[in-house]
Amino acid sequence: MKPKMLLHEVWVSTRTRIVPALMVAVLCASMCVTTLLTVGRTASAEADMMARMEQAGSLELVVSDIKKNDLFSASVVSVVAALDVVERAVGFTTARDVRSGTLPDGGTQVPAWGVVGDISAVVTLTAGRFPLPGEALVSAAAMSSLGHDHPTGYAMQGAQEYPIVGAFSAREPFTNMATGIVIAAQPDATASTLHVIARNAASVAIVQQLTLAIVAAPKLEDITVKSAAALATLQGEIVNDLGLFGRQLLLLVLGAGAILTGVVVLADVLLRRSDLGRRRALGATRQTLITLVMLRTLIAALSGVALGVVASLTRLATWNVSVPLPFIAGTVILTLLAALIAAIGPAVIAATRDPVTVLRTP
Amino acid sequence: MLAVNGLTFAYRKGGEELFGGLTREFTAGVLTALTGASGRGKSTLLYLLGLLLRPGTGQVLIDGVSVSGLADEECSRIRASSIGFVFQDAVLDPSRTILDAVIEPALYAGHTIAEVKPRALELLAEFGLAHRGAHRPGQISGGQAQRVALCRALVTDPSIILADEPTGNLDMENSEIVLAALSAAARQGRTVLVATHNAYVVERAADVVRL
Repeated sequence: MKPKMLLHEVWVSTRTRIVPALMVAVLCASMCVTTLLTVGRTASAEADMMARMEQAGSLELVVSDIKKNDLFSASVVSVVAALDVVERAVGFTTARDVRSGTLPDGGTQVPAWGVVGDISAVVTLTAGRFPLPGEALVSAAAMSSLGHDHPTGYAMQGAQEYPIVGAFSAREPFTNMATGIVIAAQPDATASTLHVIARNAASVAIVQQLTLAIVAAPKLEDITVKSAAALATLQGEIVNDLGLFGRQLLLLVLGAGAILTGVVVLADVLLRRSDLGRRRALGATRQTLITLVMLRTLIAALSGVALGVVASLTRLATWNVSVPLPFIAGTVILTLLAALIAAIGPAVIAATRDPVTVLRTP
Repeated sequence: MLAVNGLTFAYRKGGEELFGGLTREFTAGVLTALTGASGRGKSTLLYLLGLLLRPGTGQVLIDGVSVSGLADEECSRIRASSIGFVFQDAVLDPSRTILDAVIEPALYAGHTIAEVKPRALELLAEFGLAHRGAHRPGQISGGQAQRVALCRALVTDPSIILADEPTGNLDMENSEIVLAALSAAARQGRTVLVATHNAYVVERAADVVRL
C-alpha cells in the first residue's frame, strides 16, 4: 500500500469511527492536563529554585588570607580557575582609595581593587582595552566621581599612578566594584581574598574542598571561608525531593493513562474484527494493519495532547505559574509515547488474528 | 492456472483431516462449483486457495508455482493483486461509501484512488449501481451489497475469483444476477470458484468439485 494511501485510509477510518478516537484523545488530554497542572507546577517551583541557586552569588566561595601569608599568588589563582568544577576564580588585593591624577583637584576619592588573575572574570569591558599590569579600568560611576569625561587619564594613590585604559561594567557577583576602579595587579602581587565561582550549585562543596587543598594554608585559623555550600546542599535536597515526587507522579499519571488508552484501543480492535478480517482477506499485510492501528492512535493522541496543553497553559496562566518549555515538550512527547506504546499490543493482536476465524464468526 | 497437489488440512492438530490429499487443477474460463455436505471444507478450500490458510500437507499452485509456503507479506500481495474474494454476506464497511468499498483492494495492491476510481465507477455502472457510489452499505439492499462485493472482487482485474456462498442470502432474481456476473468473469479467462449448497448454482457451473 502506498504511504499516501495509507495515510488517507488512516485519516478516513479515524474520522468515520470517531468514538474510540475521541476516547483516546480525551485520555491523552487528561494525561497532559494532570501532568502539567501537578508535576508541571512542581517543575516550575524546581526551576525557580534552581535559578536562584544558579545565581553567581549562591555559587561564590570567598577565602580571606587574614594572617597575610601571601597565600593567593597569581599561580594559585590560575590553578584554582583551571579546575573543571570552577567557572571563574580571581584574587583581590585590599581595597584602597584613589583620586584623579589628571585633574588638578583630583575629583572625589573612589575605591580601587587590584585584581590578581584574569580581570575578565570580574568585569566586562565597555570601552578601551584590558589593562596590562599597573593599568586600570574605570566604572561609569567612578569616572563621574573622578571628574573624567572619558575612560582615559590616570588615577593616583599617593605617588603611585595608574593609567586608565578603558571602562568596565562589573560582572555578577562583583557588583560592588561598579563604584570604583580595578587595577591589573603586578605578576608578583598576592591577593588578600580569593573569590571562586562554582559551575553549579551541586559542585559548591567540592569546589570548597579543592580550593582549600590548593591554597594549603599552614593553619586553618590563617584563613576565613565564606561559602554557600550548606545552603546549596539544602536547596539541592529540596530540589531532589521535588524532582522525586514529580517523577513518581508523572509515572503514575502516564502509566494509568497508557493502560486506559490500551484498553480503549484493544476494545476498538476487538469490535472491528470483521473490518480487520476483511482487510486481511482483501490483501492488507500485517504491517499495514499494525501501522493503521498505531497511526489512528497517534492522530487521536495528537489531538488530545494539543487540547490538553492549551487547556493546561490557560489554567496555569490564571495561577501565574510558568512551566518551563522543555517540561511542556517532554510532557507532550511522553504522552504520545505512552499512547503509542499502549497501542502496540492491540495493533499486534489486530494483525495476527486469524482472518478466517474472524470472517466466519457472525 | 490454479491447482492443488496432495492437499490436506486440519483446523486442530489431531483434528479431522479434510480433502484426503486432493490433487486437481481448476479450469480457467469456466465457472467451477465446490459442493458437498456441511463440514466437508468447501469454504476452507477457498480460504486455502486464497492463501488465508496454510495446507497441512500438499501445495497450492498458481501458474505452476507453489505459493503455500510464501511469507505472509507475499501472500498478501498475491491476494491483493491476483485474487478477488466474494463472501456470503458482502462484508462491507458500514461507515464507508460504496465507492470506497469497491476501491479498497486496489489500495492494498499499490494503486492510488485516482488511478482506480474510473475502473470502480465503470464496474458500478456495469452492475447497475452507478447512482449508489456515494451511499453507505446500510442504504442498499442485500442483492445490491453482493453486487458491490462483486465489483470489489473485480476491481484489480484478478485472474482468480473465490466466492463463498455468494447467493446464500439472496432471492432468485439477485442470485441470477450474481451468477451471471461470475459466469461473465469466468468467460473473460478467469478461474472462478464458487462454494455452494445451492443445486441451482451447481447446475449452472461448467465444472463441479464434490467434496
